[in-house]
Amino acid sequence: MRTLVWLLVVGLVALLGIALSQSGALDPLKNGALTVASPFERGLRTAASPAADFLDNVADRQDLEDENRLLRQQIEELTAQIADLKEAQFTAADLAELAEVEESRPDDQFLTARVIARDPSNLKERLAIDRGSSDGISEGMVVMSEGGSLVGVISKALNDFAWVTLITDPNSNVNAMVLESRAQGVVSGSLHDGLSMDLIPQEAEVEPGDTVATSGLGGNFPQALLIGQVAAVRGEQQDVFKEAEVEPAASLSRLENVLILISFTATHLVSP
Amino acid sequence: MRYLLFVPLILFVALAQVATAPYFPLLGVTANPLLVLLMCWAMVRGPRETMILIPLAGTFKDLITTDPVGVSVLALLPIVPLAAIRERRPTESEFLPTLAAVAAASLSYHLLYMIILTAVGDGPPWLKSPMRVLLPAALLNALITPIFYLPVRWATTLSEMARPSMRVLG
Repeated sequence: MRTLVWLLVVGLVALLGIALSQSGALDPLKNGALTVASPFERGLRTAASPAADFLDNVADRQDLEDENRLLRQQIEELTAQIADLKEAQFTAADLAELAEVEESRPDDQFLTARVIARDPSNLKERLAIDRGSSDGISEGMVVMSEGGSLVGVISKALNDFAWVTLITDPNSNVNAMVLESRAQGVVSGSLHDGLSMDLIPQEAEVEPGDTVATSGLGGNFPQALLIGQVAAVRGEQQDVFKEAEVEPAASLSRLENVLILISFTATHLVSP
Repeated sequence: MRYLLFVPLILFVALAQVATAPYFPLLGVTANPLLVLLMCWAMVRGPRETMILIPLAGTFKDLITTDPVGVSVLALLPIVPLAAIRERRPTESEFLPTLAAVAAASLSYHLLYMIILTAVGDGPPWLKSPMRVLLPAALLNALITPIFYLPVRWATTLSEMARPSMRVLG
């Protein structure tokens, strides 16, 4: 009987806590807890990282060998492309000068942040970063890797910390485009399956190795932000849409620092 | 009340889980050491002490993660009724029922967690979750059970051995 009463009381208090959290009333408490816990978390993560790296290497040895071979091949191809592009760049610069065209493009402004924790639940893909609303961070801001590819969006901004929902989160959807064929679709996260690009028209030509970037549709993300590369294409001829498996460009499981795009404001379109 | 001395240890396990567990995935999921420790505690020492430890540990964990405060407490609650299996003594061994209880606690933890997340509008994909998360997580948590069961068992045996001599001295 006492156990039943305890279960009811604790359950009701927990439900009250959830309601208060949803209203944001416990945000200062969460901010305080993270302020105290984050140095310890960082220390623990640093201490554990050699072991995590070792296990990663053991598990990925064959993958690394394959990747190494592929990278050597890509270096060769890219070196050749760089040579071509240099030539094209000189030509373009000359043409621009001749036509006296001034390119006006607003500079993107970034804020760097350190990753202090990952959500440990198996059902979400989120990161905690050491920047919050006091640094000008707000919900909906776009987060990128140091290499400039899309990582996710700010889903919760506390005073000194923020949570980033990764593009691999099951609830993440990004309007995307295959650069080579201009085919559009939606890149979604899923449970431990990486990324998939759905709603690609059947007639669109999509090949493994194609580059996937944001399309800018919907106004939540800027256009042409790198997401990753097509790893495989699925779907039968009779299907209305194709589906592509996308390998994220950023190493999302090993992020240590991220860039927050503060010059871009997400617009939420409403139907007329 | 001496078990309250272990509260910092329980909080440390919660902190270590948040800080490091995501970097050691196995079977596509991460382990839940806090759940395993609390279940072992309830099976070895009885559920009464975990009735205090669950709210403390669950609230602390929720404060440092994205979860609304109270989610982990609710999801950890089934540990208490599950520990009733201890009283029934289905086998001679205490370890085998603990393994089963950990697996059951892991399943109920994720089920409750998914229900709450869905209720607050952050729900995971229900169709994929059983095979991708619930079952692998139950297996992984059962696999790491000896790491927590043995120290709790030894600590309990030591404290039981020390108790009569303390009475004599007192």
